[in-house]
Amino acid sequence: MAAGSKTESSVKARAELALNDEFLRKAVRFTTERLRGGKKKASEEHGNWEEWRERGKQIRLHTIAHLDYYLNLFVDNARSNGVHVHFANTGEEAVKLSLDIAQHASAKSVVKSKSMVSEELHLNHALESIGIEAVETDLGEYIIQLAGEMPSHIVIPAIHKNRYQIADLLSKEAGYTLPPDTTALAGFVRKKLREKFLEAEIGMTGCNFAIAETGSIVLFENEGNARMVTTVPKTQITLMGMERIIPSWEDLEVMATLLPRSATGQKLTMYMSGITGPRREKDGDGPDEMHIIIVDNGRSLQLGDPEFQELLNCIRCGACLNACPVYRHIGGHAYGSTYSGPIGAVLTPSLNKNIAEWDDIANASSLCGACYEACPVKIPLHDMLVYLRRRKVESGNGNKLESLGMQGFATVMGNSSRLGGVLRLGKLGQKLVVRSGVIKTKLGPLKGWNTYRVTPSLPKESFRDRWNTLDQELKQELRQMDPAMQRRMEELVKKREQERKDGKGGNGHHG
Amino acid sequence: MAKGGTGIMADTHKEWLERLEAESRKKQELFMNDIAAKLRHPRMTEKPQHPFRGSPDFWKAFEWSVEERIEAFTDNFLSVGGHVARLETMEEAKRFMVEKAEEMSAKYVIRQNQPELADLDLEGALPESQVSVWNTDPGQYWRARAAEADFGIVIADHAVAYTGSVTVLSAEHKGRSVSLLPTVLIIIIPVDRLKTRLGEVLSAFDEAGRENLPAGIHFISGPSRSSDIENDLTIGVHGPGIVYALLVG
Repeated sequence: MAAGSKTESSVKARAELALNDEFLRKAVRFTTERLRGGKKKASEEHGNWEEWRERGKQIRLHTIAHLDYYLNLFVDNARSNGVHVHFANTGEEAVKLSLDIAQHASAKSVVKSKSMVSEELHLNHALESIGIEAVETDLGEYIIQLAGEMPSHIVIPAIHKNRYQIADLLSKEAGYTLPPDTTALAGFVRKKLREKFLEAEIGMTGCNFAIAETGSIVLFENEGNARMVTTVPKTQITLMGMERIIPSWEDLEVMATLLPRSATGQKLTMYMSGITGPRREKDGDGPDEMHIIIVDNGRSLQLGDPEFQELLNCIRCGACLNACPVYRHIGGHAYGSTYSGPIGAVLTPSLNKNIAEWDDIANASSLCGACYEACPVKIPLHDMLVYLRRRKVESGNGNKLESLGMQGFATVMGNSSRLGGVLRLGKLGQKLVVRSGVIKTKLGPLKGWNTYRVTPSLPKESFRDRWNTLDQELKQELRQMDPAMQRRMEELVKKREQERKDGKGGNGHHG
Repeated sequence: MAKGGTGIMADTHKEWLERLEAESRKKQELFMNDIAAKLRHPRMTEKPQHPFRGSPDFWKAFEWSVEERIEAFTDNFLSVGGHVARLETMEEAKRFMVEKAEEMSAKYVIRQNQPELADLDLEGALPESQVSVWNTDPGQYWRARAAEADFGIVIADHAVAYTGSVTVLSAEHKGRSVSLLPTVLIIIIPVDRLKTRLGEVLSAFDEAGRENLPAGIHFISGPSRSSDIENDLTIGVHGPGIVYALLVG
């Protein structure tokens, strides 16, 4: 999303689109449930989770509070390692730098591993506009790139596609028909992308953490594609948010404890790589030339802001998405921006500083606090959503309804008789997190929550109680999914659990 | 900034990089000053006190016995679909690898150029296979040699029991590709390199300091995997799909 721009439809409309897609809804629910369960299990098994969260938070707070020192140290050290470091205040500058580097490398193709910053910049389009092929190499990202879509989950971008749709997409790419079999499909991608890795002049990555004291970047992944793009091509470009810094390798132990467990329930991702500069003179592989582009693009706006600075502590694990009842209902596409779920609801307007335009995203939250409880670095996202709405009102964008925080609601529900119905429904309270039938056809779940939140005569019951109801309903719906698909998914999970008990096979977490 | 399209640049590559660096250094000052201003403090040039460095103290004190480490490493590695063998000597490791190579008809084998591996004389023990030794011929395109290999053979620099991870460091004689591109990866882990916690390995990089770090430090915790298609676990998406950890000693 270019800064300031906004997709045409509101969250409400996008949510309805999402809600009408049965597969998406069910797949999102199934996946988030699985990841949430994985996280719970992994954090309990590890133990002392609260102490680890607190430590993670303190390290992030400390680093951001001294960001001028640590970022500067990182830059100096990375340069000493032989890296070409660049600064981009805006997304446009980052794109311009990337294109300049690509042209000087006479690149015909760029292989990319997962990078949220690159999504933020819409870099693939820019590369293609100057005739350079950009290939996403993370399996899920590759699939949605072929489909011409946006990721719907930060960790599992293609959860909204089933294997038949994926087989169709890949068959088109292959020029022959592939069976809708996961192993065959992944096998095709392995072979296809092998060629791409070996051909590409440039490998492009994101950056999970950057270690100030040694100028190293750290990448977490399961597939090996980030290792590919940092090992095979001659030139490496790493796009890095300016806040990715941690002081030391010692601090990385805390992040490595929190991130994989929170994201997928793994003890560690299959690969964790620390890259310190381009290949050494005598090394037989690794990039000859390495660039790091440090991107601001709205991040520094949070610095010094007592209400939002902690946003920069985010380690992009996606746990808040999996915990969020709204996300689990509508999926990532409904948010209409690069970052979805609770973190997206706060981050998108904050990075863009156009609170008014993105207001309906902030309303796509139940303020239940599940996101805060899930967050491994304890970012008070639910508080931030409230601040965001207050600022929106303070910025003078509110009419009377908006002053109650009802903007998105009022826009859609302009019709007074329907509005009356909504308000009645809100007062009824109990029916709020209603059987989805009612909500879907009449109001959409967002409107239901909106109503509940903003109606002045609120029922006494806490949202936590309601959340439990909703949680049960989500599980209920999970039980109502297409029996064949559900059976297949459950069998897979069971099989993996059994294998784990037997001490072989996978533990069922994401790659 | 070069205007795109022609592919012919007025300046040499080196001049272009120098120009970018000059721009970058100028911008660095503005960038850092802006951060300091927004944080409402003067530019920090002294290292700040960091009272929360690294893991909590109770964790730093945690250590397993050798046998516990071996057991935990084995459990973890198996649980993600890796394979583990517990062996007494390098000679046993050699026998294991030769058997596997014959069993799977490994035609192309690539190994790191390390004396411990050279001593095994896999070349002699595997007459049916073509065994290449990493980076021994400057005319060779080594990445392609690794990509076509059925087996990649490496020695771990470190290993971590708690997460079931192996660490490999890049060097002239130790390619990153050898642990990444072959279909099957065999990692020999001398048992005395197996630590309890991740932090024990990580803090060694702090102690070594920037100048002494290799370009690539890779923690490998099992076979390459993905669940991107319908949550169905797929092994061997990009990296090796079959990984053997041989605990030796």
